[in-house]
Amino acid sequence: MLEIRNLCKSFGALKAADDVSLTVERGTIHALIGPNGAGKTTLIALLSGYLQPTSGAIAFDGRDLLAVPTHLRPHAGLVRSFQITSVFPEMTVRENVCLVLQSVAGQARSLFRLAAADRAEQEEADATLARVGLIDQADALTGNLAHGQKRQVEIAMALAARPKLLLLDEPTAGMGVEESRRIMDLLESLRDSVTMLLVEHDMDVVFGLADRVSVLVYGKVIASDTPERIRVNADVQEAYLGDHELHGEGD
Amino acid sequence: MRDTHHLPFLLGCLAALLLLPFVLQATGSSYLISTATRLVVFAIAAVSLDLLIGYTGLVSFGHAAFLGVGAYTVGILSFHAYEDTTLIGLPGTLSGLVAIPLALALSALAALIVGALSLRTRGVYFIMITLSFGQMLFFLFVSLEQYGGDDGMMMFEGRNRLPLLDLNDRISFYYFCLAWFVLFFWFCTWLVRSKFGRTLAAIKQNQDRLSSIGINAYWAKLQVFVIAGVGAGLAGALSANHTEFVSPALTHWTRSGDLMIVVILGGMGTLVGPVLGTFLFLLLEEFLPLILRGLGLGLLSEHWRFVFGPILILVVLYAKTGLYGLIFPRRG
Ligand SMILES: Nc1ncnc2c1ncn2[C@@H]1O[C@H](COP(=O)(O)OP(=O)(O)OP(=O)(O)O)[C@@H](O)[C@H]1O
Ligand SMILES: [Mg+2]
Repeated sequence: MLEIRNLCKSFGALKAADDVSLTVERGTIHALIGPNGAGKTTLIALLSGYLQPTSGAIAFDGRDLLAVPTHLRPHAGLVRSFQITSVFPEMTVRENVCLVLQSVAGQARSLFRLAAADRAEQEEADATLARVGLIDQADALTGNLAHGQKRQVEIAMALAARPKLLLLDEPTAGMGVEESRRIMDLLESLRDSVTMLLVEHDMDVVFGLADRVSVLVYGKVIASDTPERIRVNADVQEAYLGDHELHGEGD
Repeated sequence: MRDTHHLPFLLGCLAALLLLPFVLQATGSSYLISTATRLVVFAIAAVSLDLLIGYTGLVSFGHAAFLGVGAYTVGILSFHAYEDTTLIGLPGTLSGLVAIPLALALSALAALIVGALSLRTRGVYFIMITLSFGQMLFFLFVSLEQYGGDDGMMMFEGRNRLPLLDLNDRISFYYFCLAWFVLFFWFCTWLVRSKFGRTLAAIKQNQDRLSSIGINAYWAKLQVFVIAGVGAGLAGALSANHTEFVSPALTHWTRSGDLMIVVILGGMGTLVGPVLGTFLFLLLEEFLPLILRGLGLGLLSEHWRFVFGPILILVVLYAKTGLYGLIFPRRG
């Protein structure tokens, strides 16, 4: 589904992506872990087109992704969410989702339809909001929501774009335990229909969901394997996980 | 969005504007019909600018350029009709059925070119580049010696001709402009509530997020820029007809500044606001010099904008939604 080959991205002297090669198989949940500043968000930005790589190639669904303009990538099925919540604060929660839906429908510049008059769109938005557990806030101004709820809006917007491959940048960071649980269950339920590249710090989440785990350190992929093997990988332990964290898993 | 809650207010205003000529005639002050005409014409331009500033967050400082394009289209066609000469092989015309649509088309084209180049930039750069384009057009018009250079030119043949309607009759002309104003206002009300309007709001609130949900902000901005340019071009074409005179002054950057002032004063991001702003602006322009002179401040009356400036700063600081916000305070 996604094949990254020798991808590099430098910020001056800093190599935020250093010869990254990674394959995400269709129908899997692929976790990307790594310490702070490892370059995880940078990789998401390179995939979604928010940053241009210094060198390297990306193939998505058999096509050259780097040739696809940023705004067309969601239409091709590649959708991202943001680690730092990025919503439309002066719109209601429902409108945030409707905005995505009108984009999917190719009506972003349509003068012919009144926004408030599209019942079908609103029903679809509400259905998405129900899935992320935010339906009771549908009419609230997004800017007035609690932090965790804005994170849920973020997920709802990503889902509404009907992704084939979902790039999730720490989706549950900042959510309460209950919301976090709900989102994890939701992602689990999407497993068969949506491929996911999941950046996550919470090891419970990673080892609970992922089919495969890649470890990024200083812009380099140091390991890419099944969760079980990653857990016992010596390099990974040394570079990132640390003894206490691994043993603290206790399952 | 909030505009739509004020239907009774809007209908009241419309009724007042419709009855205005009768009231003015009855009170023997029909000379004010010309001021009322200026109001509705200038309001078209102000509302169109608010689509950019208030609804999309695009602070365009060259909007008067499109006033100029609309006005000069009408003026130049009239000039060649009067002289009985041609321009690039085409004759002039006095027909409003030709001149006004052509004015709209050319202002759309001008806005397309200016927008295509300037919308690549943002923030202060966008303000500066639109200002520069505005000034470029200003100097272009100044350089048109044939059409009066910086003095501009009179339209000796008078206003455009239309079947069934005599635009040289000032009351007919007022209603003609009012009809355009109502049409344009209604169109904008529709626009800001359409799906496109929602996209514009998104651009204003969080432009960088749009490409991640599959929207190209550039094309949306270009679309609204052209629409706003056509609005200003329409106002320009009507203004040329109104004064029977066109000059580069119409496109000077201070004109663009006046339009911005009107939008800010009236209330950005509302459609009623710029109309109220235009009303107050014309009122002040007409009477502030008189008041100042009455107060023995004759010197200030020459430079009434110096007094106007501080008023504006107060509005920006204390009444963010301008006059509109004073009249319709936000509930809750
Ligand atoms: N636009 C930029 N310009 C310069 N340096 C940048 C830029 N974006 C990121 N960096 C740097 O690149 C490195 C990788 O950052 P990135 O945000 O990708 O890390 P991350 O793995 O997502 O970290 P975290 O777990 O904290 O989210 C960091 O050292 C960061 O400071
Ligand atoms: Mg990050």
